[in-house]
Amino acid sequence: MSAATAVLRRLKFSREVVLLGVLIVLLVVMSLLSPLFLTVGNLLNTSRFFVEVGLMALGMTLIIITGGIDLSVGSNLALVSVAVGFSYAADLPLPLAIVFGLVVGLAAGLFNGLFITFLDLHPLVVTLGTFALFQGLAYGLSRAEAVSDFPAWFAYFGQAYFLNVVPGQLFIFILAVVVVWLILSRTRFGRYVYAIGNNEEAAHFSGVPVRRVKLALYSGIGLLVGMAAVIYTSRVYTARGDSGLGLELDVISAVVLGGASIYGGSGTIGGTVLGVLIIATLRNGLVLAGVPSTWQVFVLGVLLLVAVFLNEFFRRREE
Amino acid sequence: MSGSTWGVKIVRVALLMALVLVAASCGVGQQPSQGGGGGGGPKKICMMPKLVGIPYFNASEKGAEEAAKDLDVELVYDGPTEAKAALQSQMIEQWIQQQCGAISVAANDPDALAPAMKKAEDAGIKTSSWDADVAKDAREVFVNQATFEAIGYELVDVMAEQTDGKGKFLVVTGSLTAPNQVAWLKEMRERMKEKYPEMSIASVEPGEEDLQLGIDITKNYLRANPDTAGVFGITSVALPGAAEAVEQEGLEGEVAVTGLSTPNDMKPYLESGAVEKFVLWNPVDLGYLAVHVANAQIEGNMPKSGTFEAGRLGKVEMIAEDEVLLGPPLVFSQDNIDEYDF
Repeated sequence: MSAATAVLRRLKFSREVVLLGVLIVLLVVMSLLSPLFLTVGNLLNTSRFFVEVGLMALGMTLIIITGGIDLSVGSNLALVSVAVGFSYAADLPLPLAIVFGLVVGLAAGLFNGLFITFLDLHPLVVTLGTFALFQGLAYGLSRAEAVSDFPAWFAYFGQAYFLNVVPGQLFIFILAVVVVWLILSRTRFGRYVYAIGNNEEAAHFSGVPVRRVKLALYSGIGLLVGMAAVIYTSRVYTARGDSGLGLELDVISAVVLGGASIYGGSGTIGGTVLGVLIIATLRNGLVLAGVPSTWQVFVLGVLLLVAVFLNEFFRRREE
Repeated sequence: MSGSTWGVKIVRVALLMALVLVAASCGVGQQPSQGGGGGGGPKKICMMPKLVGIPYFNASEKGAEEAAKDLDVELVYDGPTEAKAALQSQMIEQWIQQQCGAISVAANDPDALAPAMKKAEDAGIKTSSWDADVAKDAREVFVNQATFEAIGYELVDVMAEQTDGKGKFLVVTGSLTAPNQVAWLKEMRERMKEKYPEMSIASVEPGEEDLQLGIDITKNYLRANPDTAGVFGITSVALPGAAEAVEQEGLEGEVAVTGLSTPNDMKPYLESGAVEKFVLWNPVDLGYLAVHVANAQIEGNMPKSGTFEAGRLGKVEMIAEDEVLLGPPLVFSQDNIDEYDF
């Protein structure tokens, strides 16, 4: 048993090394394709676009490790964006509107969690439902209108640069990475997460509070979505009902690319961060190299299929 | 055990390398002119539609390429694959890094693109919008395809021709709040009041850009109101829906149908006789004009008033100091529809 886990650990480690290798190869290829790519300005600026997906991917990693999934994150982002924008437009002071938005995100996540744990429904089905529900609410509340007359300081979350080069949201992301990484790899809660993914029933009988852990995870991703929504809304300086639409796919892609198994039980924060960076690098590099958007989608699709294939290959080898 | 681990590692690295090569060859193969050199030509115009992959914006691309060739400038024509403002704003920011001389966008949201467009301007890039404007302070010029007034008036004139300038009409819109549709409706009512007092809009129904819904709404309305003289469909989905409904009810020739849509969508209805004429602007010319404007901005000779000389389009009007007008709307009929493919 201990020998097997040791091998497993080594495999996980090597998976991240491979991803790092891919990232480095990508950086080299992209810099050959476009002389504009490998500049500090460009690389730092790129980070402005992956923070939102990255924050949600952190939460999604833990959820996927438990064998669950949350398809509603993009819709939830729209809901929070609308909640912030329209409560502000209705004269709530902006700091309070932001807090309100975070609460809405958390509540939406909790709502998912309650359905999944207490009614014992499959997360795919529940979040497919709330995907539509949150989107509908966001459209309904905003009535397809947009709010964009925010005060200048609101730009801090999504448009500010520290020392003129480092995007402000990068700090929020790094902090979140450290916190979630500590939770997953250094706490009992983190061990519970893996235990549930490996065998939920066994975890339950060995005293893991499965429901509470899952509730915390779905609420937690709701809170991360809330943070992502504030950054997103600030970046485009507009609250709209269609914000974040489709982002759930980017989030899940990054996590899967990062090596988390959709069957549960495995996945790391390091892998996810690399997955996020690889997708962001590829997107940015292809744009700079003048590859049309339609082909970028194709390349990303190939990348994901290869990643899933490799993961499956890997998983079978482990067994 | 460790032997098989290494095997796995080698296979993974090999596959991923292969993948990266696919990505790389894609990039080189697609746009060889941008693969190597420094900045390419001295002038680079980056132009963004609301989304790529639909006939309307493919038509604009055709015109844009034509103009780029005439003017000998480098053109990058790309946009998101979905009509989303946030994706556009992201691409604009990446274009700033790509050293575009001018950026011209068809905005999915006037405000959401503003921060990125202002940033482009700060970076010394000439900014403009076409097809759908961004916030005024976030661009230098707007290339307008047709004024609300010209569209509204033309629609009513076309309809009046077919109904002797009188009757009650149904309007099928996209949504009741869409700003352009609201503005067109206002101008249509204005035109009726001034020139055709015996024409009136009896009802405005939202088709929600859903073809089937548009068909149902029109059918039901025509059954309940047999005295309806005609139907306006004022979006590219509402018009074919209205025409289809009239056809299904067998009312061709009795109920007149006109509105705004694209030629390829409307060809079958012109042939069946359900629609005689309909209105739109020419998106090929719009793309052509937008590139000419961006080029003039880079060269620093964009006029503030009077007219602007735009290649084969000749002189086009400056209707404000920061707004160029493509011209009067284009009326499509059996006579000219075969000249257009979008």
